[in-house]
Amino acid sequence: MLTYTNPELKPFEELAGQFARNELASGREEHDNYPFGPFFHGVLARAHEAGFLGIILPEHQGGIGQGTGALCVILDSISRADASLAGILFTTALAQQILMEAGAFDAIRTITGGASKAEEALIAFPAFANPSELAPSVFAKNEEGRYTLFGTCDYLVLGGLARYGLIPARVHGRKGYSFFIVDLAAPGVTKSGPVVSLGFHACPAVDVKIRDVDGTIAGSEGDGAVLFERAAEKMHIAAAAIACGIMKGSFVEALSYAKERFQGGREIVKWSEVRMILANMAVKVDVADMTLAGACRAAEEKHPGWETKSRAVAIRIQDDACELTTDGIQVLGGYGYMKDYGQEKRFRDAKQVQALLGMAPMKKLKYFEKVAE
Amino acid sequence: MVLSHEFKVLLEREPKFIDIMCSLEATARQPKGIINETKEVVAIARKFNDEVVRPYALELDRLRTEDPEFLPWEFVKKANEWGFYTMWIPKIFGGKGYCMPSMSYFIEEIGSACLAMANLIGVHYLGFATLTATWNMRLVNRLAREVAKGEKTGAPCLISLAITEPGAGTDVEEIDLIDKGKITCHAGKVKGGYVVNGSKVFISNGHISAWHMLIAYSDLKRPSDTPVVLAVPTGAKGFSFGRQEHKMGQKGCPASELIFEDCFIPDELVAMDDEQCRGLSRKTREATMQVIDYVVSVTRAGVGAFGTGVARGAFEEALKFAGETEVDGKLLINHEWAQCMLAEMYKNVTIARLCYVETNYANGMYGFFKTLQMKPMYYCAKMLPKFYIDLVIAPLMSKHFMTKLMRKIGLDGQKDEEIHRTSGWASIAKVVGTDAGIRNCQLALEMMGQAGLRQDRVAEKHLRDSKLLQIYEGTNQLNRLNIFKCLIARSCPQAVVFDE
Ligand SMILES: Cc1cc2nc3c(=O)[nH]c(=O)nc-3n(C[C@H](O)[C@H](O)[C@H](O)COP(=O)(O)OP(=O)(O)OC[C@H]3O[C@@H](n4cnc5c(N)ncnc54)[C@H](O)[C@@H]3O)c2cc1C
Repeated sequence: MLTYTNPELKPFEELAGQFARNELASGREEHDNYPFGPFFHGVLARAHEAGFLGIILPEHQGGIGQGTGALCVILDSISRADASLAGILFTTALAQQILMEAGAFDAIRTITGGASKAEEALIAFPAFANPSELAPSVFAKNEEGRYTLFGTCDYLVLGGLARYGLIPARVHGRKGYSFFIVDLAAPGVTKSGPVVSLGFHACPAVDVKIRDVDGTIAGSEGDGAVLFERAAEKMHIAAAAIACGIMKGSFVEALSYAKERFQGGREIVKWSEVRMILANMAVKVDVADMTLAGACRAAEEKHPGWETKSRAVAIRIQDDACELTTDGIQVLGGYGYMKDYGQEKRFRDAKQVQALLGMAPMKKLKYFEKVAE
Repeated sequence: MVLSHEFKVLLEREPKFIDIMCSLEATARQPKGIINETKEVVAIARKFNDEVVRPYALELDRLRTEDPEFLPWEFVKKANEWGFYTMWIPKIFGGKGYCMPSMSYFIEEIGSACLAMANLIGVHYLGFATLTATWNMRLVNRLAREVAKGEKTGAPCLISLAITEPGAGTDVEEIDLIDKGKITCHAGKVKGGYVVNGSKVFISNGHISAWHMLIAYSDLKRPSDTPVVLAVPTGAKGFSFGRQEHKMGQKGCPASELIFEDCFIPDELVAMDDEQCRGLSRKTREATMQVIDYVVSVTRAGVGAFGTGVARGAFEEALKFAGETEVDGKLLINHEWAQCMLAEMYKNVTIARLCYVETNYANGMYGFFKTLQMKPMYYCAKMLPKFYIDLVIAPLMSKHFMTKLMRKIGLDGQKDEEIHRTSGWASIAKVVGTDAGIRNCQLALEMMGQAGLRQDRVAEKHLRDSKLLQIYEGTNQLNRLNIFKCLIARSCPQAVVFDE
């Protein structure tokens, strides 16, 4: 639907779809083994070559200068096969968006401009938390314009892979928090092993301890929440696009299985209860697809109130993805619970996506705050 | 006000009083000892959770993720040491003889800490219940005593149940479907026993069980009329283990493929077949469904208890998180929405528990537990000295007439409406408990945000573990259809089930 409302996005859909088929689909189970199996560095490198790590960055910043629509089309297509890579693209894009909102273009140039390898172009970010909800436990001391950071940052996504991280920290004597660019290779940064997580296994996170490490402020002291919310307005839709892709993958798998699996002497798709489950799934997919397209369009064309309405779209799609992927397993019965099919992974990934950008109930309340304003 | 001749008619009206008030009927009749026994069991389970389950649950989950071939012997040996594999085996068979309903409370407790470990204990009783449901007293006595011996020697002797086939999952759970299914596990009658060919899949505890209650069929064209229940020992010639499944959750508990290639099972290990069914008041087909219902009336309630347990586990993790985490400047527990969410989760647990408890009452009055819960039987079984059991009762169990007698009481003695009542309730308990499990896990994760995604915070493991509950012991769809079949269809004579 996204490419129907905006045909210019078609090439991105084709590119990402091809990438998903060639690079992700067949290796899904193996990639999902991380951290108990190897990380898919090769796939990441090719995603970098394809420009996926700089979708929303302007061309002069080393990106491909696209907006929310292209980001969503790519995330949606990739997530049908394996949402972990989408998690990596999302996290980096979120950090980039915050940096852009902060006007920290030099920093972006330093990171992406000098990146010869994919890992260097990544930016680690605690993508599953809204720092306004759970106050950061990293603190920054300002000594004559030089910031020194210490504390802990839990669940820093890509922290084990990226050279730089964008870390929320509280500046002494200041209200709120600010974002700091931190060199994760600096002495004083200690990383845990990869955190074993529900989903997104190949989009790993680490817990980080920071002890007297220099940080470069992005934006100004205390403006973290404003930057985060501005970036989140666009990125909520991107998170919904991942959920939407997962839903499509789950539905397609369930439908094709139901057409082939026999129980009671017929293909299970012929039992009306199974059809009902599939019908409910299909409704959710189509509603997600349509509303996502609408939200992208509204965002790109800056329709009045798009910021609020797109939050509602994202909340609904992410909730629906959790329900739908539960059914996606159910249609496959015992086989759906096994790693051999993608359904169990989609179920885990959908729940993971729901937590992007903060706690689900708090996102609802935040949305309502805006509605009530 | 109500005339005496109206009384019965009014109570017979749907929903029948007797169907919806099992607990009311049962509480006065059940032996009082059950209460203290249940308290004891819950206390034991809580201690076991503190000492064994919680300290090891995440590690076992991780070990099996790293190496899916790893077998959970360490835990099984611990459970064996604690006496859990004989705890619900009647004393007359060498077990500890705790009352059967108390097992569901036990399972809820263990399930609240780790469903995989609850399964490592509970599935053994799925096997044992299947064996018992055949009322083949000689075989029950033999296997139960082997389990008890395994406890003494420290070599756990577990029993699994193998019914699901690669092409038939739902179909083997329902007599109206089985003849239409792709059934391939064949038990051919030969002199002195049966020869089995075929395979079974997804068998919980397969790789770690010493015995497997195998349901095969002597005529694959008419499986509903020709089921054969066999006790297959691990190591039998022609029997081997295939792959262990790579599951999303409940990783600690292996799910195995069992392969049979010209596997000969002697007559003495035949728990039930067409020939043994002769003389029963029901035809083989109906008797088969009765045995299935007999087992699932207990085990589906057990899965309801698993669901209650995991729903509670998720709730407890969320509560802990809410009590120690500041969100938006104040403790999460002091946000009104969070209090309501926690209350919703608590409510889900409570309703789920009530459903399995009510099913236990139904089983005590009309089903599996009935014989052992009659007051004279209950107290007799408790008080008989061990030497008397060993000298007098145990040898009796090997006599053919005991099997006949128990089948008369257990199978023929159960009315059709009682089968429907217990089976219907069990499906309600299963669906309500397992849906509550998933729902609470989902809510817990929503409440915990990023923390909920981490394996070391347990909630995500609960979510992965709980999804299986909606699938095994008949999918929740099959169980809903069973509720319709057992409790609803009769009020609409034109209704047909499994034949749309
Ligand atoms: C980890 C695990 C452990 C297990 N442990 C055991 C065990 O110890 N012993 C054992 O014997 N089995 C075991 N099972 C098997 C389990 O009982 C089956 O998986 C379950 O009964 C479903 O069968 P299936 O997987 O073949 O799904 P299917 O029967 O193929 O069902 C697929 C889908 O079709 C639907 N469907 C099928 N028929 C109908 C119908 N007539 N009307 C409406 N919908 C229908 C189902 O509801 C489901 O959504 C286990 C399974 C798992 C996953």
